[in-house]
Amino acid sequence: MATKEEVFESISHVKDPEVGFNLVEMGLIYDVDIAENGNCVVTMTLSTKACPMHQLIAQWVKEAAEKVEGINEAEVNVVWEPAWNPSMADEHVKVAMGG
Amino acid sequence: MNISQEFAPPYKLVIPYFIVGVVFYLVSIMYTFGFDVSQLHYQDPAVLAWVHLYLLGFVMMIIFGAMAQLLPVVLEVGHFGVEFFYVIWPLLAVGTFLMMGGFVFVPALLPYGGTVVLISMLIFIFDIFMTLRNVKEFNLSVTTVLLANISLLMGIIIGIVMALAYAGQIDVNISALLVAHIYLVVGGYIIISIMGLSMILLPMFGLSHGYVNNAVKIAVSLMSISVILVLFSVILSIELIAYIGYGLSVIAIIAYLMQIQTIYQKRARKIQDIYSYSMILSYTFLLLSVLFGLVFFFMDIQKFLYLSVWLLLIGFFSFMISGHLYKIVPFLVWFEKFADLVGKEKVPMLVDMVPDRATYMQLGFVLIGIIISSLGILFSNNELFKAGVSFLFMGAVFFMYAVIYILKFESK
Repeated sequence: MATKEEVFESISHVKDPEVGFNLVEMGLIYDVDIAENGNCVVTMTLSTKACPMHQLIAQWVKEAAEKVEGINEAEVNVVWEPAWNPSMADEHVKVAMGG
Repeated sequence: MNISQEFAPPYKLVIPYFIVGVVFYLVSIMYTFGFDVSQLHYQDPAVLAWVHLYLLGFVMMIIFGAMAQLLPVVLEVGHFGVEFFYVIWPLLAVGTFLMMGGFVFVPALLPYGGTVVLISMLIFIFDIFMTLRNVKEFNLSVTTVLLANISLLMGIIIGIVMALAYAGQIDVNISALLVAHIYLVVGGYIIISIMGLSMILLPMFGLSHGYVNNAVKIAVSLMSISVILVLFSVILSIELIAYIGYGLSVIAIIAYLMQIQTIYQKRARKIQDIYSYSMILSYTFLLLSVLFGLVFFFMDIQKFLYLSVWLLLIGFFSFMISGHLYKIVPFLVWFEKFADLVGKEKVPMLVDMVPDRATYMQLGFVLIGIIISSLGILFSNNELFKAGVSFLFMGAVFFMYAVIYILKFESK
């Protein structure tokens, strides 16, 4: 059975082309829930509600999750609560952004 | 909340607005070589021709293109008739050239040019209003779109009346209507549109979080009231009402600048780039424009009014637009050429698609050009003004080069 860490690792290859960081290090992936049958739900957010790449990014995340061996089907749930803020990003991302 | 990508208009529909807009920018900068700043007058047909060339051909063209692209994001619904945008830009371009011809050569052309522009804008406004009918939640951005387009509609109707009077077909007081026309189109449409769009774009590109929007709400409200007051002052011929309107619009812009400062302070992306530098310069010139406007108001020296308008148009609007095009055009090209390749091969980041050197050359030349040409206006010195325009022209060439570079970008 696939693990949460494997799904996070696969999603970490998805980069936001605007900011240049991957979604995991940005802190945009909140949780991954894997069911017994191999289906999983990725709960994530975006840095802004007005993101014009909303659906595209969600699609990339779905594809990345489904690449993991043992995952049958992935569902991506984009939520706005809790709202993303820069403190959720990894330390090196904050440093790179000048924070 | 579901902002669908399928609402986005096709690439080939939006891109012409930005290409044609940049061409108009270059042409309008070249046109200013012919200005005689020692004889500058706001009713000089050559000045009126330039203002329309710049505002319609460049500023409005880019705003319409940006609205075509961003409206689905702002309103969270698709356009009522996205195909309308295929005819809006050609009509706007042709109408603008006819109007120029009307101002400079044959006044009888003016109503025809004005009518073509009117048709183009009526199509745009029709799409906006019909699209707004599907909006479920009226937030600040939606409200600004509504207010701005009501202003635009009224502004162009007054503009057509003025064009008919200019061509000698009807007899009205053009000078009185001019103030209402300017306030409705520039204050009511362009400024309120910028206020609304910037509340989406600035936090998005700067990753700003944890701030309140109160200042911009005050700014939009006061700007709307000021436009109404100026309009009523023309209708009722009561000058005092107009002065209250002018005062409110100054307070509105100061409130807006305070909001921008808050967003800037709350941004997570503190690394400066061509976008952030362009925004800083743009808002600095807006502030300077207001200050020179106040100097004109209290000292009644005409050249300070011209300086204020020059800084608003060439400083605030041009840096606002160039900075945003360095973000929007790469996104459109990336989405068209590379989005489908994600996960299959290495794709460029948006920042890789922007030619750094050309964009900073553009920024530098335009900045120096604005400073020198402004001194030319201030001292009524044509040599100084033309020297400044030479720098602006070089800036426009680099601007065009940068946009073409982005459009033709291929992954290495």
